[in-house]
Amino acid sequence: MKIRTLFVAASFVVLSLSARPQFPAAEKSAQSSARGAESVRFLFPEQVAIPAKKASVVELHFRVAEGMHINSHAPHTKLLIPTNFIVPEKSGINVSAVDFPIGADYSFSFSPQEKLSVYAGEFVLKAHVTAQPGQHLLEAALRYQACDSNSCYPPKMIPVALNIVAK
Amino acid sequence: MKRNHLVLLLILASLALMFWAGWANFESRRQQAERLRANHVTLQPESANEYVSPLQGKPAPGFSLNDLNGKKVSLADYRGKAVLLNFWATWCAPCKVEIPWFLKLREQYAGQGFEIIGVSSDDLDKDDKAKLFTQKAEIVKFVEQQKMTYPVVIDGDAISHPYGGVDSLPTSFFIDRKGTVVAQTVGLVSRDEIESDIRKALAGGQ
Repeated sequence: MKIRTLFVAASFVVLSLSARPQFPAAEKSAQSSARGAESVRFLFPEQVAIPAKKASVVELHFRVAEGMHINSHAPHTKLLIPTNFIVPEKSGINVSAVDFPIGADYSFSFSPQEKLSVYAGEFVLKAHVTAQPGQHLLEAALRYQACDSNSCYPPKMIPVALNIVAK
Repeated sequence: MKRNHLVLLLILASLALMFWAGWANFESRRQQAERLRANHVTLQPESANEYVSPLQGKPAPGFSLNDLNGKKVSLADYRGKAVLLNFWATWCAPCKVEIPWFLKLREQYAGQGFEIIGVSSDDLDKDDKAKLFTQKAEIVKFVEQQKMTYPVVIDGDAISHPYGGVDSLPTSFFIDRKGTVVAQTVGLVSRDEIESDIRKALAGGQ
């Protein structure tokens, strides 16, 4: 009985192995539907209240469009364009530093060995702000370079306007 | 008891023979499949392309851009040849995937009158000489690293508008011997689709 079971199992394995091999499915040439669209949006806050003349941390929330990713502030290769926060000099406000989150590892399906450092979904920058008493409009910008699964888009800048009330 | 052992031995020997035959068959089919894949080109029917270029069937916009040595390269210079005009950038990861395919396809179809022109879409600060020098050097380094032996021109943004505003990279236009755009691909597509479009460009305008 045991020998018969062994024989049936072995035959099944042999038949499975000799089955016709499958060709990989032909790659579908999916075209990007998000061509030219804004890949990143500044979510909030529009206004913050901070103590005057004291260093404060303001969290700035952004969202990367679904299916897209942008390079982190520290991409793994020099050729890739990092995400940067650009702050113009303005009297009354000082942004001494910006903390960027650590990027998540990402690989394109066509190049699984190459690991990129990216932001996808929602991400938060922490700006270290000191302001003189009063109301200030910070007109900063986020510079990024986005890609989806098979296309990349030229670097872009989006405005980040923040009303700072320092008391 | 001895008879049973003999029967068992015979069954095991048969099984081993079947395994070996099955494995040999599998290997042979696998190798045959690989050989077929190497020579396989899937012709893409028109309806399979979701994106149809607005330039399709129209004359490719003429241009004259500098190559990496400062020499002018014009599309008109390639009249009579099928041309693949490929927009790429150093920061574009999918663009790098196509380059080895382009090199092989160029070699394969050069005898039939096929050429590739790479158009770098990297930003160039024309007003800042030092920056411009660095930016050009980065492009040269990339071209050397990727062993791009076909002509490469810079300042692709200058011709992006007539080509429909090339926004996503890579983007390729396939131009026949009479200078008509016969196909366009946006984003990374399969090697088969590229080869199929090259054949269209070679067949057109004769």
